[in-house]
Amino acid sequence: MSVQPLAPSDASLLELVDRLLNKGVVLIGEATISVAGVDLIYLGLNLVLSSVDALERPRGGPAGGGGSSGGGAPRT
Amino acid sequence: MRLIAHAITPAPRPRVAVRGLRGRPLEWLESAGLGIWSTRWDTAEPLARDDVLDHHRVIEGICAATPCLPVRFGTAFADAAAARATLDRRSDALRDALARVSGRSEIAVTLLWREPSGDSAPRPPVDDAAGPGRRFLEERQARWSASDARRRQAAELVERLVATLAVEPALVRHEICSSERVAVSLAVLSPTDQAPDQIASLRRFLAGLSDVTGVVNGPWPPYTFAGIDESGGVSAGSATRLPGWPPA
Repeated sequence: MSVQPLAPSDASLLELVDRLLNKGVVLIGEATISVAGVDLIYLGLNLVLSSVDALERPRGGPAGGGGSSGGGAPRT
Repeated sequence: MRLIAHAITPAPRPRVAVRGLRGRPLEWLESAGLGIWSTRWDTAEPLARDDVLDHHRVIEGICAATPCLPVRFGTAFADAAAARATLDRRSDALRDALARVSGRSEIAVTLLWREPSGDSAPRPPVDDAAGPGRRFLEERQARWSASDARRRQAAELVERLVATLAVEPALVRHEICSSERVAVSLAVLSPTDQAPDQIASLRRFLAGLSDVTGVVNGPWPPYTFAGIDESGGVSAGSATRLPGWPPA
């Protein structure tokens, strides 16, 4: 498997997105956040890699795909 | 119409200098000595990817003015009564959490492997004379050995980081080897006025590491330390899915 180096700027975005989607107070009435049908709540940084893929997808681009399709494999 | 929650702060309403998502007005709903900040949102209006980072901007602005608990992105209430009812139900736990993070900020440290892991790095070839079963077992053993070695190395790095920070263990949360490229993801809750010194100290420490590249972020709102006992906090029956998420 070919592994692309993770740039420090990517790591900063990943850490921030991980916190926004997976940390913070959980309250009743919460909306479930998902990417391509995979709920991100309670999942760790590994799967947040997939959420970043969704965030970086251009608006109006194809839905689905990324690392989270087909069962949520992380984009590592 | 729905309310997208951003943060919880103590009452009375403090003055904050930020606006809500996409520059809309921030709403304050108060109950049980607490208040919840939110943006009013049309239920039919889709959230977009930029709204995730905008949520961070809003929380940063609120936390700059008062102790605050960030709310996980995507938390939405049907109306003001639902938001106030949540504050009423969980007021004790929320106050405890606010006391824990008051005057403190979160610093994030990420250590990235400079080299690929054993899964990706070239390995010595298995003996050509070996049968397929032995080859499979030897390759699997090599993968596991490499993975174990990395986890041990990452755990040692965490110990050194915690020693560098010189803080109580309860103020540090971490994960190791959470992905192929991430060795350590660590969060520390630091007194806000000491955060710049902590960051400088961490950067000096990270500059001396050879196997990993270190990234320090923050100070951020205390996302990682804002959690309260979740056992009674999530009701599957009340969960709703925000329209338009994920962004198409």
